[in-house]
Amino acid sequence: MPHTGDLAVEAWAPEREECVAEAVRGAVGGFAEIPPGAVRTEREYELADDTDERLLVAALEEMIFQAETAGELPAQVSVRRTGTAVRMRLAMVDSALVEQVGAVPKAVSLHGLRMAREASGGWRCHVTLDV
Amino acid sequence: MDVRLVEETPWRYRIERSGPMRVPGVVFAPHGLLPLDEGDRALEQVANVASLPGIVRASYAMPDIHWGYGFPIGGVAATEVAAGGVVSPGGVGFDISCGVRLLTSELDRDTVREVLPALMDRLDPLIPRGLGRGCLWRPAGRRQLADLLRGGARYLVDMGHGVPRDLDRCEDGGAVDVTDVTQVGDRALERGAGQVGSLGSANHFLEVQAVDRIYDEACARTFGLRTDQVCVMIHCGSRGLGHQICTDHVRRMEAVMHRRGISVPDRQLACAPVDSPEARDYLGAMAAAANYARANRHLLADAARAVFREHTGHGLDLLYDVSHNLAKLERREVDGERRLLCVHRKGATRALPPGHPDLPADLAGAGQPVFVPGTMGTASYVLAGVPGNEAFDSSCHGAGRVWSRHRAQREIDIRHLRAELVAAGVSARPTSWRSATEEAPEAYKDVDAVVTASERNGLSRIVARLVPLGVLKG
Repeated sequence: MPHTGDLAVEAWAPEREECVAEAVRGAVGGFAEIPPGAVRTEREYELADDTDERLLVAALEEMIFQAETAGELPAQVSVRRTGTAVRMRLAMVDSALVEQVGAVPKAVSLHGLRMAREASGGWRCHVTLDV
Repeated sequence: MDVRLVEETPWRYRIERSGPMRVPGVVFAPHGLLPLDEGDRALEQVANVASLPGIVRASYAMPDIHWGYGFPIGGVAATEVAAGGVVSPGGVGFDISCGVRLLTSELDRDTVREVLPALMDRLDPLIPRGLGRGCLWRPAGRRQLADLLRGGARYLVDMGHGVPRDLDRCEDGGAVDVTDVTQVGDRALERGAGQVGSLGSANHFLEVQAVDRIYDEACARTFGLRTDQVCVMIHCGSRGLGHQICTDHVRRMEAVMHRRGISVPDRQLACAPVDSPEARDYLGAMAAAANYARANRHLLADAARAVFREHTGHGLDLLYDVSHNLAKLERREVDGERRLLCVHRKGATRALPPGHPDLPADLAGAGQPVFVPGTMGTASYVLAGVPGNEAFDSSCHGAGRVWSRHRAQREIDIRHLRAELVAAGVSARPTSWRSATEEAPEAYKDVDAVVTASERNGLSRIVARLVPLGVLKG
């Protein structure tokens, strides 16, 4: 049974960083529809990377923070390790151009938080966002 | 954790102590309101809360209990400070001091029906809500935002927004004094700077309502309520600022809990002894967020008041404003002794009894007003605090979700929702109809049953039922 109040996201990918990017895409898709032709601005953010879970949380928290303070949402997401840092590149769109299709997330909860490599070698994560 | 549920009365269940539980759980709900669906962990959360250090009497759940983070929503727990009692940000919730205020008008339902379209047309573009949709007031800089966090609604009245009477009718006179703005992080401040005077999204709203029925004439008279009277109800909280404070302080407490020898069954129950530096810092930041939430509701109410004055010639008077996500230090009698307790109410409303010294003098005879928003298609209630409430003077706070947001979007189509609201005579202005389906009446418990259970359990008494006429949602 999914959590009653909020937005749960499950994502998977062969690589850890791509799994995080998928989770961000899934979270945005849960509340926003971004028009394909909207003007995009490239932004880059360094993410905390102490643990796998922390990386996932940092990426989602950055998306929420930028949505609230800069009024921008990502049309494209990529997460890459470069040297010792993990960086998230977002192709941002003005949120005034975006159609809201669900409650807007406000925080990343620790409830059922998982980010781990599977036996198959790929990565899978589960996260619940408070709205 | 194993949950052994015992029916004590048809209106109340006990969760027997087991494992690490220090006290029993008490759920003030009849069988039909219990969260018993396969996979629902709300009752397990009641049991988990019962394991918190210093908890006294019981881990309580209100009739609108549903699944939260760490604490259930509708959870009440008091910890004794002198016995190593803890404060847990999860016992307050992400949306610190989320709450409800109700404003009354001198107008009747029939009078307003004619001007309702014009009222809604004016309120719709004016009230910020939904995704990135601005705010009613922007501080000039960090210093002015800090002034607002210290002064809450009082600061705004000093600035010329609203009237002094608004403060008399707000919990804590519009502001908590024990704030520590230095414990509000940069990200929280940045999020808060652009959202003062905004509803947000999800279950938050501004509604024009009409009093449908009075249940307690004497109490209603004291509250200034009468049948067919038009009112405005506002439900929102501390926006991104409160969420960020909760996130930051849970992370800090989680990092030091093991050093203090505290273990909890759920990471979202991270906590610290009330007399520890981590707890003091959290409580100082939480108080700042509480002031932000009161200021937020105050500005929205003042904007609605101006629109009413412009379109009807009549303003709006604040009946009361009360939070339902907060922790408070309260001196209360437990086992025959006065003790200092940290009372967590998460999705639960403080409900002071008649004669309580913290009530405004002109309401004291009736008890504290308690507001229970239902759904945009059904009804909301005004209750009043009663003597002898064993849950530290707490009552329910809403209808309580039963469906996930995903299920609501899957099962409710927009045409159905719009038709349902038209049939109920409700003019709804959501920023997104797709988003609004998540808040369809079917996604919630029956609010009539919830308030009945509150009354039957001696948590509050029913004063009035209100129905929506116009709804703004984000």
